[in-house]
Amino acid sequence: MTDSKNRARWIALTSRLATVVSMAAILPAAIVAQSTPNAPKPLTDSYVIRNATVVPVVGPRIEKGTVVIVGGKITAVGATVATPAGATVIDGTGLFVYPGFIDSGTKLGLSEIESVPGGEDKVEVGQFNPHDVALTAVNSHSELIPVARYNGITSVITAPEGGLISGTASLMDLTGWTGDQMSIKTRAALVVNYPRVAGGRRGGGGGRGGPAAEDGDAVNQGVTQLRDYFTNAKSYADIKAKLAAGGAGKQKIDQAMEAMIPFVRGELPVIFDAESAAQIRGALAFGDEFKLKIVIRGAAEAWQLADTLAARKVPVIVGPTYAEPAASAAYDEIYANPGVLARAGVQIAFQTTGASNVRDLPFEVGITEAFGLDADKALEAITINPARIWGVGDKYGSIEVGKVANVFVSTGDPLDPRSHVKYLFIRGELIPLVDRHTKLYEEFKARPKPTPAVKKP
Amino acid sequence: MKYLTRTSLSTIGALAFAGAFTTSSALAQGAASAAPATDGFGGAGALNMPIPPAAKLVAITHATILTASHGTILDGTIIIRDGKIAQVGAKLAAPAGAQVIDATGKFVTPGIIDAHSHSSLQGINESSSSITSQVNIGDAFRQDGLTLYRQLAGGVTAANVLHGSANTIGGQNLTVKMRFGLPVDSMKFDKAPPGIKFALGENVRQTNGAQPGRTPRYPRTRMGVEELLRDAFTRAQEYQAEWKEYDKAKAALKKGQAEPIPPRRDIQLDPLVEILEGKRLVHGHSYRSDEILMLLKVAKDYGFRVASLQHVLEGYKVADEIAAANTGASTFADEWAYKLEAWDAIAFNASLMAERGVKVSINSDSDERARRLYQDAAKAMHYGNTSEEEALKMITLNAAWQLGVDKYTGSIDVGKDADIAIFTAHPFSPAARVDMTLIDGRVFFDRKTSPSLEALLQATKKTRAMGNGGSN
Repeated sequence: MTDSKNRARWIALTSRLATVVSMAAILPAAIVAQSTPNAPKPLTDSYVIRNATVVPVVGPRIEKGTVVIVGGKITAVGATVATPAGATVIDGTGLFVYPGFIDSGTKLGLSEIESVPGGEDKVEVGQFNPHDVALTAVNSHSELIPVARYNGITSVITAPEGGLISGTASLMDLTGWTGDQMSIKTRAALVVNYPRVAGGRRGGGGGRGGPAAEDGDAVNQGVTQLRDYFTNAKSYADIKAKLAAGGAGKQKIDQAMEAMIPFVRGELPVIFDAESAAQIRGALAFGDEFKLKIVIRGAAEAWQLADTLAARKVPVIVGPTYAEPAASAAYDEIYANPGVLARAGVQIAFQTTGASNVRDLPFEVGITEAFGLDADKALEAITINPARIWGVGDKYGSIEVGKVANVFVSTGDPLDPRSHVKYLFIRGELIPLVDRHTKLYEEFKARPKPTPAVKKP
Repeated sequence: MKYLTRTSLSTIGALAFAGAFTTSSALAQGAASAAPATDGFGGAGALNMPIPPAAKLVAITHATILTASHGTILDGTIIIRDGKIAQVGAKLAAPAGAQVIDATGKFVTPGIIDAHSHSSLQGINESSSSITSQVNIGDAFRQDGLTLYRQLAGGVTAANVLHGSANTIGGQNLTVKMRFGLPVDSMKFDKAPPGIKFALGENVRQTNGAQPGRTPRYPRTRMGVEELLRDAFTRAQEYQAEWKEYDKAKAALKKGQAEPIPPRRDIQLDPLVEILEGKRLVHGHSYRSDEILMLLKVAKDYGFRVASLQHVLEGYKVADEIAAANTGASTFADEWAYKLEAWDAIAFNASLMAERGVKVSINSDSDERARRLYQDAAKAMHYGNTSEEEALKMITLNAAWQLGVDKYTGSIDVGKDADIAIFTAHPFSPAARVDMTLIDGRVFFDRKTSPSLEALLQATKKTRAMGNGGSN
C-alpha cells in the first residue's frame, strides 16, 4: 500500500472520528470529553471519594472509607479524615476504591491496527537494539489508550519486540498530551529474548519468545551472541567509569553501549522473555554471570522453579493467560502457574502483551483465581508488585498518602466482568471513561429504527 | 473419510492449501491451528483418559441451576435418564439406583456451544477457488486434537466446525459434540442440520497476506463478492430447475416412452440447491455493515435465510436489519483492531444487537478462547449490561438455535440431551472453574481425575517423598 493511500485512509478515519467526538458532548456522562480523549483537562484538582470500601492493597480494607486527592496526589485515606473545602465529592456508597492497575507488558502506543503496516512500530531490524526506547515511538493519541483505561488500567510497560535485545521498555501513565508527559520512567527495563531451546516451546500468546531456534546449537549461538554483547557493554561501562575517575585514555561514544550502561551495572532491571523451565534456568545463570537485576517474563513453566525463583527473589511477569499451554503441559498450566508461584512466595506481576486488549488485564488475572491464585495476591500482582518491580513502589501501586493518585472506583470486584469501573483518576485527574467503543455504542444505540419498518418474514 | 454426504469430496486440495495465508495474526487468517497431541503429562494424560460409560440414571443434586431458558433454580436437581434430561426442579429427591453427583455449592449450566470453531483440523482452507461448496470440513477433522479435551475442561459440549474464511462460498460444516476419547464417528452431532461457511470482506479479497507472485484471485473487491454470490445462486437455480423438470418428466413417464435422462450431477451446486430449499444452514463470515446488508439482500432475492452471521463485528450498526431477517449473530466478546475491517468493532456489539432483538451468540474462533467462553459471555454483562440469563444464552441456547439444534441441547429443559457443565462457582465470576462436563449424561471431563497441574504437583511430591528425586 502506498503512503498516500495510507494517509488518505487516516484522514478519512480521523475526520469520521471528529464527528463522533462531537457526539460525545451530549453523552449523559458525568464528565464531558475534551477535544482529545487521551489528555482531558481536569475540572478541579481536589476530589473526595467518600463512604466507599477502600482497598488500599497495602494494608487492610477500609469500610465506609474516604480517599482525598489534591493536586494529583493522595493526601488522605481513612475512615475519618478531614476533607478540603471546594473539592468535588464523589459518593462512594456501595462502591469500591482501588489503586489503578499496571500492565507489565504491552505494545500500547506502538501498534494501532495490526494488519495496517503504517501504524506498527513494534519491531526494529537487527538483533541488538538496546538504544531503541519505546516511548520515542508511542503515539500518545492512539485510539487504543482510552480503551485500555476503561477497565481501570492506569499505567503500562510498553516495549518493542523481536531480535535478541528488542530495546528499552518504558513505563507510562495512560494520560498526557505527549510521550514525555505520559512517562513515568522512559527507561524502565531492557527487553531480552532468551533464545528458545531445542524443540521449542509455545511462542506465547502472540508468537513472542525470540528468534526460533531449531536445535541446541542455535540456542548456544544465541546465548553466545548475548554473552558477547553484554561482555562488550560491561567493558564499555567499566572504561567509561575509569575515564570519569580521571584515568588516561579514551573511548569512542557508542549509542547502543551507552544505553546498556544502567543495565550492566545492575541499576535497572533486565527483562528476560523466557517461557520454558530451561530458558528460565538459562536466564538465571546469565543474570548471575553478569550480575544483572533480572525479571523473568512469560514464564509458562516457572512453576517448576517456584522455590528457586522465590529464594532468589527474582520477580516473574506471567501472562498472557489468554494463551494455550504447550501440548505436553497440563491443560490448566497457564491458569494455575500464577497461583503456584505466589504460594511459593515469588513476586509476580501480569502482562497482556498486546495493544488492543490491554483492557482485558483484570479478566486475564481473574481467570487464574479459580486455579489457585489468592484474590489478594491477584490484586497485588497488578498494583503494588509491578510498581516495586519497575522501581516506583514509593509512588505507585497502592492507596497511600503521598502516592500518585492513580485510583478508580468500581461497582464491585474489578476482576469480575460483571463489575463496572465508574470513575477513574490518573495523576489526580478525573478521566472520562469515553473511548472509541463507548462512542460508537452511544452513536448506534441512538440509531432510529429503519423506515419503512422491515417486517419479520 | 467420514461424514461424506452426497455432495462431499476428498479434501486433498484443502490439505495442500492449508496455511496458504501467512499473516501475523490468527484472526487475520480467519483460522486457528489445531494443537498436535504429543507425549508428556498433559498430552498423554488427556489422550489416555478413560471415558466411563454413561449411567442409565444420573441425578445432579443440590445445585444452583442456571437453565438458560427459565431462570435460576436454587438447591436444584437434574435427573438424567438414558442421556436425556428427565426432570428438573428444586429439591427433587434422587431416584433409587441413580448415580448421584452432589453439586452442593456448585453452579450448573447447559453445556457451552461454540458456534465458530476450527479445532482439531488437518486443513482449514481450500483456497484455490472462491467457491468450494463441494468440500466438507468433516474430511479434515481429527478425533485426537488435544484441544477438544481442553475445551471440554472449559465446559464446551458442542461446536460448529467450519472452514476458514478464504472463500466467498466456503465448505460444508461439521457440527460436533465434544465426545473426546471416542472414535471420530461418535463425534458428529447426528441431529444437526448440515451447514456451510460463507465469507465476505478482507479475507475473501485476500487483502492481508497476499501471496507475492500469485495471480490475484477473483474477487478482489466487495462488489465482486456480491457478483460471485449472485452468479452462483443463479446457476444453482437453473440447475435446480433442470432437476425439477427431470423429476416431473420422470413422474409423468408413460409405458413405452423413453426414460428421461437426468441432468449432469454438479457437486458444487448441490449444496447451493439445499440452501435454496432451506435444508442447509448458511453461516456467513462478515465484518462491515455494508457487506452484512449485501448478504442479507442476496439471500432475500434468492429466497433463503442466512442462519447466522459470523463475527458480524459491525452488526450493531444494522441490528434491526439482522433481526428482521431472522438471522442470528455470532460474534467475539471483545476482539478488535486486528484488521481495518475490525476497526469499528466494539465490545458492546453483542449487547446492542441483543437489545435490538437479534439472537446473539459469542464464539471462540480459537482453541484458546474456546477454553474460557464462560468468561467471554460475562463480558456481555460488562459491556452494555446484558442480563445474566441473556449472557448465558449467548454461549448456549442462542448458539444452539443458530446451528439448528435448539430442540436437542442448549438449555436445561426436560427432554433435551443432558449436555451439562458443572462449575465451582458462578460461571461469570473469577472463582469459576469447570469441575465436570457431561454430554448425553456421560462424564467426559472430571477435574478430579484430570491431568491438571495440581495433580502433577501432587504426583511429583509423592515421587520425591519416595526418594526418587524431583523434577527441579
